Amino acid sequence: MIGPSIKIKGEISGDEDLLIQGQVEGTISLKAHQVVVGESGQVSADILAKTIKIDGKVNGDITGTENVVISKLGNVRGNIIAPRVLLEDGAIFKGSIDMDPGDTAAKTAPQAAKEPTAFPSQENKAPRLDLKSG
Amino acid sequence: MIPSQPSALLPSLFEHVDEGRRLTVLHIGPALAETVTFFSHYRCKLHFIDLFGDLAKLAPAEDATVSLEQTLLDLMQIPDGTRFDLCLFWDLFNFLQRDAIGALAHALAPHLKDTTLAHGFAVHSLKTPQSGKLYGIKELDQISTRPRATPLPGYSPCNQGQLERTLDCFSVTRSVLLPEGRLELLLRASRRS
Repeated sequence: MIGPSIKIKGEISGDEDLLIQGQVEGTISLKAHQVVVGESGQVSADILAKTIKIDGKVNGDITGTENVVISKLGNVRGNIIAPRVLLEDGAIFKGSIDMDPGDTAAKTAPQAAKEPTAFPSQENKAPRLDLKSG
Repeated sequence: MIPSQPSALLPSLFEHVDEGRRLTVLHIGPALAETVTFFSHYRCKLHFIDLFGDLAKLAPAEDATVSLEQTLLDLMQIPDGTRFDLCLFWDLFNFLQRDAIGALAHALAPHLKDTTLAHGFAVHSLKTPQSGKLYGIKELDQISTRPRATPLPGYSPCNQGQLERTLDCFSVTRSVLLPEGRLELLLRASRRS
């Protein structure tokens, strides 16, 4: 754990889980482990880990080989890459999210409506105006 | 429970999506939990760009030293080579002056494919009041509608004709009239004249 009064500049790597409650600037690489940025944590670094949970503030790119969760207290500015990403209600996020749920999850993608077909054929280019009640 | 409104056009955006293919999506507005959850079923890259937070910078100014297009490029910072499959504009067009919509079209054009589809709101009547909502995707045919904490500045309602004249990188494919004179629009990328 990096406590609330600790400030670190540099490269963090290792073979165990990490909880950050202090300030970190640099890079964090714990590929096979979990990184949690706690409520008081402030990170200006790219993070690579198996699972990543953000309750604090992160400015940097985040790569989770398994999943990334930004909690309702989290504030992230950067790009996220992970198979699964969960943004809790209230989380603040600015950037891009690159997700790949794999074959199983992709097969559960919401099914497109079978009807009505709202997208007309190429031949019919005239916009249509529908009236909708309610 | 997140409030929502049904959408007749949203399903059309996903109608031809190949679930095995990676989707690249532009979402104008803040990232909402339900939108990320919805897209978590797809192989995708979501670009969240909250231009609603920078509307003041997009208001035309006579003493501006930087063009609106350059301002938009600086704000959006879309990586080179990015080509969007879907663009979710929500009600952005109702908060941009016509010059800014034109500049948006210029800024986005290099990032569109021939097959890019988009969704947005305009108005049928220019007297339509501001909706005061944040939008996201709750389900395939349900748009989440969260109240904004404060009204946005620069409300400038845009009707379909005005939009088609200024947003020349898209053409309106279908529109649905909603309550209070609002229009839901499905757009498709079109070659610029």
